[in-house]
Amino acid sequence: MNSHDPHNDLEAELTALGDLIDVPAPPPADVAAAVRARLTALDSTDSTDSTDSTDSTDSTDSTDSTDSTDSTDSTDTDDNPAVSTATPARQHPEDPAGADAPLRGSSRAPGRRVDGRRPSVRRGRRKRWTIVAAVVAAVLAVMAATPQGREAVARILRFAGVELRISETPAPAVTATAPLPGERTVPPSELPRTFQVRTPAALGEPERVSEADGGRVVSMFWPDGIRLDQFEGGLDPIFFKKLTPLPAYTEVSGRTAWWIPGEHPLGYLTRADGTEIPLRQAAPTLIWQDGTLDYRLEGVRTMAEAVRIAESLR
Amino acid sequence: MDDDEAIARSLDGDLAAYEALVARYSALAHRTATMLGAGDEAEDVVQEAFVKAYRHLAKFRRDAPFRPWLLRIVANETHNLTRSRGRRSDLTLRLGATADPAAPDDPESAALSTDRRTRLLAAVRALPDRERQAVICRYFLQLSEAETAQVLDWPIGSVKSSTHRGLARLREEVGNELT
Repeated sequence: MNSHDPHNDLEAELTALGDLIDVPAPPPADVAAAVRARLTALDSTDSTDSTDSTDSTDSTDSTDSTDSTDSTDSTDTDDNPAVSTATPARQHPEDPAGADAPLRGSSRAPGRRVDGRRPSVRRGRRKRWTIVAAVVAAVLAVMAATPQGREAVARILRFAGVELRISETPAPAVTATAPLPGERTVPPSELPRTFQVRTPAALGEPERVSEADGGRVVSMFWPDGIRLDQFEGGLDPIFFKKLTPLPAYTEVSGRTAWWIPGEHPLGYLTRADGTEIPLRQAAPTLIWQDGTLDYRLEGVRTMAEAVRIAESLR
Repeated sequence: MDDDEAIARSLDGDLAAYEALVARYSALAHRTATMLGAGDEAEDVVQEAFVKAYRHLAKFRRDAPFRPWLLRIVANETHNLTRSRGRRSDLTLRLGATADPAAPDDPESAALSTDRRTRLLAAVRALPDRERQAVICRYFLQLSEAETAQVLDWPIGSVKSSTHRGLARLREEVGNELT
């Protein structure tokens, strides 16, 4: 809200109201998988469909911010590229639901693109998504050909130093509780200096602070099982989580964050060789990043409260 | 992986990187499409927008922020949709169930009585097209004036004036005081 006039109550009220509005959206991972599958379909069609390649050169309008100023009249030229992006997908055999598209397409013709762009929307969408998920699972099975039971994982997302392994069926709960490798309690004065360690003002001073894996992870603990792990992110994830529900998108100070609402198995990937160490059954967790630093806040009951604490990092 | 890195890797053909980018902006894109009138076709609009964005990624100016660039494509797709069917969807916005019992200690939401919230939302819905779009972008989507101008493809002066007029109308409708 800080971008608005603080003195204007109505503006603040509208912003607060906007925060309360619930917009239904499919899980981000599903959208990502669907888009990826469509792009894969486009790629494979591009090589054989000569008409498609010409579209990419004349379809710049939607992204060129200089071409017009009046949005109500500026978008005519966008129709063609939009059509072109959908056409290969329709030709692609991934979409058996397209068989009933002409019927629906013609009945909806006045309301749709001339050629019935996005042919299988509505009824076909569900089916398409199922198939898309299957395609993606197959792709991942090839890519993630590493050992240790990944075959059950439908999707892997990496964010804020955490690898989320999302499967259709719940992973068995971790019954044991293991510390991080080399985890040891340290007095605040001996915190590793490899990165700037911060404390959430909303929680006050932690009861205990530990570092692990040679200063790679710093953890702070508060009563009621609340803990904050912070670590410097690289390309390689440090933690992994096994999930069935997809994480919920939220924001911490305007930056993307994901909320994992339920209990879930948590593990650690060692710095040395990425060995997987099962840690424990983790409580609901918020993960986010700020620059190169990654954070995971575990044990806070609601997403709103977790975000509030996250935003109080000093 | 930040946006820039994800974009760089996407441009190299790394679809996993683009997938991460899509996942990151998916909720915001849906929010934008829905609020700008895509209604129950928001999912299709968003998918289309992400596919388009990928194809245009090479034209994205890397020193500019990704978010408004992407949202402009989303807004454009939404606009194409609403224009092609001759109307926009009614704003089927509803207040989240989390608003009330889950956050009783949240002063921001407590300050807004349910009744007033409902009236304010109805008043936003009833705004003339351009004013509504400006108000939605500025406050519901929390975009800056510059971002709003980019997303809606309006001159910044239009954003300012439409926002101003919209706020004035809302103030007339629901009053300016918190109840």
